[in-house]
Amino acid sequence: MKLESKLFLLLTPFFALMGVIYTLWSHAEPVGTVGIFLVAALSAMIGVFLALTARRIDPRPEDNPYGEIDEGAGDQGVYAPWSWWPLAIAFPAALTFLGLAVGWWLVGIGVTLGVVGLIGWVFEYSRGQHAH
Amino acid sequence: MTVNRPNPVQVGTIVWLSSELMFFAGLFAMYFTARSVMPASEWSAQADKLNVWFSAGNTTILVLSSITCQLGTYAAERFRPRRTGKLWQVGQWGMVEWIAVTYVMGAIFIAGQVTEYSDLVEQGLSIHSNAYGSVFYLATGFHGLHVLGGLIAFLFLLGRTFSAKRFGHHEATSAIVTSYYWHFVDVVWVALFSVIYLLR
Repeated sequence: MKLESKLFLLLTPFFALMGVIYTLWSHAEPVGTVGIFLVAALSAMIGVFLALTARRIDPRPEDNPYGEIDEGAGDQGVYAPWSWWPLAIAFPAALTFLGLAVGWWLVGIGVTLGVVGLIGWVFEYSRGQHAH
Repeated sequence: MTVNRPNPVQVGTIVWLSSELMFFAGLFAMYFTARSVMPASEWSAQADKLNVWFSAGNTTILVLSSITCQLGTYAAERFRPRRTGKLWQVGQWGMVEWIAVTYVMGAIFIAGQVTEYSDLVEQGLSIHSNAYGSVFYLATGFHGLHVLGGLIAFLFLLGRTFSAKRFGHHEATSAIVTSYYWHFVDVVWVALFSVIYLLR
């Protein structure tokens, strides 16, 4: 995990420096100045999170140059094997944005169906055969 | 022995939040651009309509709600969904109680923002009255929508907790990533408040 966090943390001073150069060069043009400094914040945010995570967990086989694939066997986290729910949100989302161009009545239909899809997705692993 | 891995939901949430940072970067850039092209006297005539003290109180509530949210997350990490004592024994509170308090505080923030908007509209500052109105309502409004999204996420979190007989990693992870989101939206508001109300 340390390598990943370093990759992002090294980007932070780079973008901070570029931000300073850009600010001076463009006489503080607002869009780029704000944007570049916040890209520094973006990489700092991910980098610090990964560094904190790296302190909390054991070294993974991926971190070991001599690691073997079978050392990584076991719990990989919770992943849905398959799910219809993303599709049940994507279709209403498309309807909603189409509604912005076509007419507001379509937005109402899209949002209503979207709420159903969202609730279905969030509770997919809390009910039915997955109730726990 | 299985390897102790980073929680993919947490990593994904942080990466997504960093992209949200770029969304707000666009709003800040829009605000500063309008500020740099609008005549200073015209700009401050509009900005002087803001009620800084009212918004400061609202900001305090949102910042405090981050603390209650974090206390709820600690309870979730200890797998304590509900209180073990009486309602007034705050030290025994579980995640549900803390999240309920956080929800109420977030709702007060939204109510305060609505009050503020109606005051400003009464003073003649609306989204299409001038450039200041447009950037003000877009920046604070999109943030308000994020707070609203956070409130919905809290409802989902409570719903997952209520529907689970055993409060496990699935529910605790939901609590942790929702708190990440809430803290992020809180920090963004502190930045927006500093820029829009204090810096003007």
